[in-house]
Amino acid sequence: MSADEHPPAWRKLLFSYESLLLVVLVAEWFFFYRYGTTTNRRGVLVGFGTLDRQFDILRHSCEIGLLALALTPVILTAGIDLSVGSLLGLCAITFGMLWHDGGLSIPVAAALTLGVGALGGGLNAGLITILRLPPLIVTLGTYSLFRGLAEAITHGAVTYTDFPASFLYLGQERWLGLPTQAWLFLLAAVVVWVLVHRTTFGRSFRVIGFSPEGARYAGLPVGRRTALVYVLAGLIAALAALIYTARLGQAKADAGTGYELFAITAVVLGGTSIFGGRGSITGTLLGVAAIAVLKNGLACLPAVIRLNAAEEMSGMLTGALLLLALTGSILPKILSTLRTRRQAG
Amino acid sequence: MRQTTSAPLLRLEGIKKNYGAVRALQGVDFELQAGEVHALLGENGAGKSTLINLITGARRPDAGTLTLAGRPLPGLDPAAARALGIACVHQQPALFAELSVAENIGLRLEAGGAWRRVDWPRREARAAELLQRIGAEFPASRTVRELSMPEQQLVEIACALGVGARIVIMDEPTSSLTRREQEQLYGIVRGLRAAGTGVIYISHRLEEIFALADRVTVLRDGVSVGTHAVAAVTEPELIRLMVGREVSQLYPPAESAPGAAVLELRGVGCRAAGMHGVSCTVHAGEVFGLAGLVGAGRTELARTLFGLTPADAGEILLHGRRIHPRSPPEAVALGIAYVPEDRRRHGIVLEMPVAHNLTMAVHPRLFPGAWLRFGAEQALARESLRDLAVKCPGPDALGGSLSGGNQQKVSLARWLATRPKLLILDEPTQGVDVGAKSEIHRIIRRLARDGLAVIMISSDLPEVLGMSDRIGVMRGGTLAAVLPGKSDPHTVMAAALGQSS
Amino acid sequence: MNRYFREISVTAALGLVLLAMAVFAPGFFQPQPLLSLVTREAPTLVVACGMALVIISRQIDISVGSQFSVCSICAGVLAARGWPLAVVGPAAAALGALLGAFNGVLVAGLRLPSIVVTLATMVMLRQGLNLVQQGAFVNLPDRVQWFGLSQAAGQWTLVGAALVLLVIFGLAMRQLATGRWVYAVGTDDEAARLAGIRPQLVTFLVFVLMGLLAGVAATMNIVQSPQVQPAVGSGLELKVIAAVVVGGVAISGGRGNVWGAFAGLLLLACVSPALTHLHVEAYWEKTIQGAIILLAVVADGLRQRKRGEGQA
Repeated sequence: MSADEHPPAWRKLLFSYESLLLVVLVAEWFFFYRYGTTTNRRGVLVGFGTLDRQFDILRHSCEIGLLALALTPVILTAGIDLSVGSLLGLCAITFGMLWHDGGLSIPVAAALTLGVGALGGGLNAGLITILRLPPLIVTLGTYSLFRGLAEAITHGAVTYTDFPASFLYLGQERWLGLPTQAWLFLLAAVVVWVLVHRTTFGRSFRVIGFSPEGARYAGLPVGRRTALVYVLAGLIAALAALIYTARLGQAKADAGTGYELFAITAVVLGGTSIFGGRGSITGTLLGVAAIAVLKNGLACLPAVIRLNAAEEMSGMLTGALLLLALTGSILPKILSTLRTRRQAG
Repeated sequence: MRQTTSAPLLRLEGIKKNYGAVRALQGVDFELQAGEVHALLGENGAGKSTLINLITGARRPDAGTLTLAGRPLPGLDPAAARALGIACVHQQPALFAELSVAENIGLRLEAGGAWRRVDWPRREARAAELLQRIGAEFPASRTVRELSMPEQQLVEIACALGVGARIVIMDEPTSSLTRREQEQLYGIVRGLRAAGTGVIYISHRLEEIFALADRVTVLRDGVSVGTHAVAAVTEPELIRLMVGREVSQLYPPAESAPGAAVLELRGVGCRAAGMHGVSCTVHAGEVFGLAGLVGAGRTELARTLFGLTPADAGEILLHGRRIHPRSPPEAVALGIAYVPEDRRRHGIVLEMPVAHNLTMAVHPRLFPGAWLRFGAEQALARESLRDLAVKCPGPDALGGSLSGGNQQKVSLARWLATRPKLLILDEPTQGVDVGAKSEIHRIIRRLARDGLAVIMISSDLPEVLGMSDRIGVMRGGTLAAVLPGKSDPHTVMAAALGQSS
Repeated sequence: MNRYFREISVTAALGLVLLAMAVFAPGFFQPQPLLSLVTREAPTLVVACGMALVIISRQIDISVGSQFSVCSICAGVLAARGWPLAVVGPAAAALGALLGAFNGVLVAGLRLPSIVVTLATMVMLRQGLNLVQQGAFVNLPDRVQWFGLSQAAGQWTLVGAALVLLVIFGLAMRQLATGRWVYAVGTDDEAARLAGIRPQLVTFLVFVLMGLLAGVAATMNIVQSPQVQPAVGSGLELKVIAAVVVGGVAISGGRGNVWGAFAGLLLLACVSPALTHLHVEAYWEKTIQGAIILLAVVADGLRQRKRGEGQA
């Protein structure tokens, strides 16, 4: 299930996993189309099959998609960042505070928010690269710290609202036929794809993921590259925060809660190895699409609507999906071990 | 001279083992008598490690039988092997770094279930006694993480002694021992033999085999090509059996005189690495051998020059200009290349294609603007593979699929692509089979002839003497002497040990 | 001496905090509130013992909060239906063990990274519980309160039980062969395998034990209040991991013990009421928790660096 930039011999394998995922995605989409679309009393189509709903899916997938884009390079380096969801919340609050309490214009507040995101990522980066601390516990700490700061700044209560329409355009309107944020997401996706698949940065991420010591001995700037992925993740989380705020029209301290599960699932589902080195952005995008369709499709099923269990069902199924994706990724290894174990008898 | 009894202690018949598509062992017969030292010889990839894994129960054979003192052992696993008295001293000791020496020995030696109480005083006393028997100088309470590699090997040997093993397997045990520790080890091995233990001794060092072993079995390509009494066989014969053809042990001669000074060290030191006061000059077109005991500071010097442990004293001059490499990227930019000792962990990335490995050190030059150019990469890869005659299916083969010698060549090629001014080689032929070894030696000579300044670190004294134009001898963290290339081995050894004469 | 440096320094820090409290906020030391504080933390201590084991074995379990919630609600439901506590307790423990076994199979059997597995199970359990409970509390019968004893007796029973468990674990980790195996597996599981230990079995059992302790802690929790809320375990995993890490258990495995975890837990438990006495609002809790985790890990990291670069 290797996914490199351009190895001709591996192309077949690359195609086969992502094609499979594409097939699953299409099947999933049709499933929800069939069972999640009904006609109401006036004979109008409602539910999953409507264009509005599809655009909603697109809107919702932008934020998680951005986080998944942010996490892919991190996971390629065999690291992890559990704090992206919390950083999203902190950035959303910062943005609201800068604009509302600080009186700054939207563009300036947005730019500063991106800076805050980069700083948050930089905190992770500094602890991980300079002090050589394990990413797991560092980002577990910042997961708590960032959310805590967001809660502290808002005293747990304040919500920022009443953003100008020109800003809300970013999250609630369309541009050239698609939701505005989709274009931004597309841009980000292209940039990250180029970074991972066509630059030496991406190549060095993989080397670091396979063998950090090997990368060091090869003369690659391991510290700088590792720091880059975490700072980039913070920056992208800040962008996601802006889009989130524009979409909801409000900034609260609990923004982005639970997003890390969906983002990590999207990345792993897309074929990126949690152990580092292997992975692709196209896979991540497919994974994001699969998760977004799942999340929103569930909310359209009559049974789920009746039970008012959309969030619960999507959480449970996404968790199960993550476990399945992980199991699937190591299945080849297990099968061959069992086979040799049985032969040795 | 031991008499061979009719019933062998250990017998392997028709052993076959595959790892996926790789046929590691294809019908090997091997037998070990009690009270003998039986050497196991073979090129890398011949199947020695696999055979050992089967005997210790770490893996199971796909076919064939294992018999211990007449009793067949179908389902051997590590615990059962230990219980039967089979002990192995590995090249890389598999010890628990966070636990004490006493606990490490205790975990290996103590039998018994999960619910028994740990008797700490007894554990520590036993460990102390074993350590004393082998002449180790560290206390049993020390954490393994604080021990050096040779000390860790001694712990493994203590475990083997403690187990009262009937069969002791030693896998290249002297590769990182000092001369004194080596002699101690030989004494221990002879003691084991006298006590009736069967010792399987794996080594690449032929002089060791002739000094220690009673019989030798040669493996080649997964089969045993002959078992001989050591007294009845010669070195060239053994090499021929290993390689399947005549291979000259001679080293390629130096063909040119050294040119201008490339590297000059004046009192260079690195406190953290225990290195101080290193002064010497290396010239273009010269192979500067770096000899010395393990721990004398050879690899430390290399690491300092390469920026892994930057110098904090003295001056380093490259082509007359003062330099201060503080990190590997800086060193590479200055034109310094380092082919490390541990090729699997540091030399190449096993999971990536050979092409990626080959271009890994030249990203700034080959891929300007950080933009990957696959055409240029493939071209460079093919050229490198051809240049060093690397045997591999193609540039897209994974690094891990190559044999040790070819991996070493890839590791070397990676650095040659950087067109360095100074090339540092750390044990370039360690664990490499005889055929590839001489190829690498020829390559090193060719590089020197083409004007490169080469520092070659080697623990193989014949290699140092055969390949070097001059020999720097490190001792105790400093450069003790610089000797001419054709020196007497005793002179070199004396300088390494700090003795006069 | 050097070996227990970490645990001693945490205890010293705890001493300092208590000293500071004695000087600046002596109200903290009133017997009844202090006993209540310690009783409230008793279930957390039990869970911390399990977490110490998990982290020493080089794994992590962030689903323990959800396990705790699920076991608490189930215990509450059973108690409300009239089951005696003597049955409810073991039932909750068994349920916890089952949940832990699920994690264990995936981590030990399939060799999946524990962070991702327990992230998934954490969410699955939490959302599953939400689905079933829809946020509803479970009301407990009076006889369940404090095991049917007086409040003081109940409190001392809980504290005593937690301390007994602590001592058992502390001794077992040092004196019992299986305890040492956890350290061995956490240091190097391949070396453990070669030494004849079965690392996968040890890892599996560690997760089962973690779940079991979550179940035990759940029972200890429900006897303390008249109701059980579904969100009762929220944030527990972070709290416990912080306590354990502060107490000197290394994330890289193989080092640390439950005594340090105990000291770390006490230290963190004091921080919250200390803040209250210093008039700092509750919404700073997560920030401080995160900062404490980071500080502890940074301190460990700096100490490692001073000890030297190490091999290669």
